[in-house]
Amino acid sequence: MITATLNAYLAISALLFAIGFLGVLVRRDTLIIFMCLELMLVASTLALVAFSRFNGTMDGNVFVFFILTVAAAEVAVGLAIIVAFFRKRQTVQVDHIDALKN
Amino acid sequence: MANFVFLFFASFTVICAAGIVLNRNAVNAAMCLLLCLVGVAGLFVRLDAFLLAFLLLLVYAGAVVALFLFIVMLLDTKGGTTPARSAVAKAASLGAGALLVAGLASFTLKGRLAAPPPAGPAVGASLKAYAYELFTLYLLPVEVVGFILLITMIGVIVLSRKEAGGA
Amino acid sequence: MTSVQLALLVLLLPLASAGFIALFLRRRGGAAAALSVVAATTVAVGALVLALQGGRFEAAREWFRLGSFTLSLGFKYDDLAALMLVIVGIVGLCVHVFSLGYMHDDPARGRYFAGLSVFMFSMIGIVLADNLFMMFIFWELVGFSSWLLINHWYEQSAPPEAAKKAFITNRVGDFGFLLGILMCYWLRGTVNLSALAAQGAAGHAIFSRAIPLLLFCGAVGKSAQLPLQVWLPDAMEGPTPVSALIHAATMVAAGIYMLCRIQVLMVPAALTVIMWVGVATALYAALCAFVQSDIKKVLAYSTISQLGYMVAAFGLGSVRELNAQGEVVVVAAGVGAAMFHLTTHACFKALLFLGSGSVIHGCHHEQNIFKMGGLAGRMKFTFVTFTVGVAAIIGLPGLAGFFSKDAILYLAYANNRAAFAVLALTAVLTAIYMLRLWIITFLGASRSEAAAHAHEGGFTLAAPLAVLAALAVVAGYRGLYPDAFAGILRLVPESRGTVHAVIFVTSLGILLAGAALAWVLYGRTGRSAFVSADGTSADAVRDPLQARCPALFDGLVALQHSFDRVYGYYIAKIQQRAAMLLNFLEVIGLAGLVVRGAAGLVGMAGLGARALHVGRLSAYLYWFLGGVVILWLFAVGVL
Repeated sequence: MITATLNAYLAISALLFAIGFLGVLVRRDTLIIFMCLELMLVASTLALVAFSRFNGTMDGNVFVFFILTVAAAEVAVGLAIIVAFFRKRQTVQVDHIDALKN
Repeated sequence: MANFVFLFFASFTVICAAGIVLNRNAVNAAMCLLLCLVGVAGLFVRLDAFLLAFLLLLVYAGAVVALFLFIVMLLDTKGGTTPARSAVAKAASLGAGALLVAGLASFTLKGRLAAPPPAGPAVGASLKAYAYELFTLYLLPVEVVGFILLITMIGVIVLSRKEAGGA
Repeated sequence: MTSVQLALLVLLLPLASAGFIALFLRRRGGAAAALSVVAATTVAVGALVLALQGGRFEAAREWFRLGSFTLSLGFKYDDLAALMLVIVGIVGLCVHVFSLGYMHDDPARGRYFAGLSVFMFSMIGIVLADNLFMMFIFWELVGFSSWLLINHWYEQSAPPEAAKKAFITNRVGDFGFLLGILMCYWLRGTVNLSALAAQGAAGHAIFSRAIPLLLFCGAVGKSAQLPLQVWLPDAMEGPTPVSALIHAATMVAAGIYMLCRIQVLMVPAALTVIMWVGVATALYAALCAFVQSDIKKVLAYSTISQLGYMVAAFGLGSVRELNAQGEVVVVAAGVGAAMFHLTTHACFKALLFLGSGSVIHGCHHEQNIFKMGGLAGRMKFTFVTFTVGVAAIIGLPGLAGFFSKDAILYLAYANNRAAFAVLALTAVLTAIYMLRLWIITFLGASRSEAAAHAHEGGFTLAAPLAVLAALAVVAGYRGLYPDAFAGILRLVPESRGTVHAVIFVTSLGILLAGAALAWVLYGRTGRSAFVSADGTSADAVRDPLQARCPALFDGLVALQHSFDRVYGYYIAKIQQRAAMLLNFLEVIGLAGLVVRGAAGLVGMAGLGARALHVGRLSAYLYWFLGGVVILWLFAVGVL
């Protein structure tokens, strides 16, 4: 029986992180890549809270605040960039973002 | 009972995460992200971080995912014009997947935490603790984060101007 | 004005003159000449004032400091420096005045006089230097100004070659000189001459044989001793006043002066080597002078021979003699004899060179003595002064050369009989070839159109000749010298008693034998007038020695060319091949492998890095994943 130990939470966090990373690797739609990035961030917050809970400290919990804020800021700016790119190239496929090739 | 809650929310989160990655449609993927966040919030509650769970739902699920949906709708991407994936890319993605599985396996099977520590006091349950930490020990990061948000706002405004500066 | 200030003025005024001419007066030859002559006059007057009234002093100023090494520039004005400075000043002034007339029609007069001023500055620097480093700096400057002046007519082909040869040969000698200075500094801790003298006087044993010999290398180069004498005959490509000043009286004498300065470092073994080098040089040059047909080349070889005398005199070292009380004292006679001969030689050799300049000028730049002749009647003043010079150099009793040569012969007689024999033989040869020159150039009938219409130069050519002729007569009488120079002249060895008689008889015998042989060999040369109407006659007159004993003549010519041939062979075969090998190594190894190889490697690295920029996001992500994998391997402990 899988009990809710620290190991289990960390395993879940790692699993989520891996899924998110895989998504970033294989998906070609920029927006979906972004969502997978967010998934990775959420995974890291889960790990932090788990550690904080099991160590009895507040540091992990408080750090989640900041991660949340930074994630929000990142999403805002990233999406603005994507919109600007879409205006120029009419596509958000990652394959087409290759102006830096060679 | 508590264990069942954990199991339910954990599996729910993982399944929705898989859904994000595997969904063709961007809107579907956004919905899956939302559900994923709900699952994680549940896990937070299980970890006695009630404030954080609520904040997650409020900020992340409420604002960020909503923003994602706005943009997805705005950009109106058609999924059809993507070129076929080359064999190399397929093989590479399989390889990456295998690597990730291996990493996870090694982690879970050979993780150093042989004896998991017992759960300490649930300090995260009270709002006062957060406030105390934020306004004494982590005051500087709070201010810096404020600046980050300010700059983000400015950046977004600059980036989305319609004249030559934006595009 | 204090003595130090006057010395500074004497040193720096020629430099200022040279600088001013170089900057502003390049085109204005007349103004440049006037400025240079004014500078030379001030130098001569200043030298005399310093010598007679200025007192003896030493002054120094530190120039820079590197750790524990300091280089200071300073003056060491003692009797030796006073004498040399007066020689340089007077001969320099005579040459400057002579140049006014001789170079009057030369288009590059400004450059010439600037070069003369630079030379005066450098030579005075050598004379006044108080440490070996400073002397070396001015040594090189003198070599540079010699190059500049030999190269005066650089549009022709011979002067640049001669100038290059002079400079490079000097450089070879200077390499030894520099090694000697470094060794002296390393072993003795100082290169200051006074400090070295104090070390010697305090009884520190100065055992090193290498230091004096290495320093002597500089004198070998600068004073044209064997084996580095090859540059001096070629240096006659420069204008005649330059030959008179630099390559007869002063620059080549700088080597002797330097030897006298470093006398405290000498050891008997080194002195022996120096003596034999000087003796060999004297003999060799005298033999070579027999087969020259250019008037300046004869005088050049004569200079080399006389310098050999001076070097030999220095090398003969000291003499034990009985002083007034009848005790045996050791007199540092080498310095005295060498400097005495240097003084008299400066006077009569400059006189001979300027006389030859007058002859060349009168014969419209004809330098072959077999195309001259009959000038005794046409250029009377030059003839008279030239005769005085010839008489002085062959040692006519009563003239300057007689006394100084006697001193050297006495020194040789007292210390080394073999050297005495060779030097006496060389004196006979000197008499013969100088009389040969005198007879062929001046006596007989005119052998070319130019000689037939020769005429005297103007006042500027005659006045220096008169001054130098007067000096050539009186310079031998040490009693006439002011007390200022007593410090040096005291050291000149004087023979007494039976030895004195021996030496005197030997000198007279040398003179008479030489004169007789010269008359026998060359007395009837060129008595017949030339024939052709076009002014030249290809072989109207040949060298009588060549006519009578062609084998001997050719042997002497081969002897003269032997050094040049050896050097030429070395340079063409050995040095050139070494240079080509190094060039090959450099092109293939350094430029090819190392430089282009390094560039190629960097280029390939760049190409490789460039290939990574595929522009696709997923590729970069895979790289990212790779990095994570590596980190994971580290964490797990595999790596």
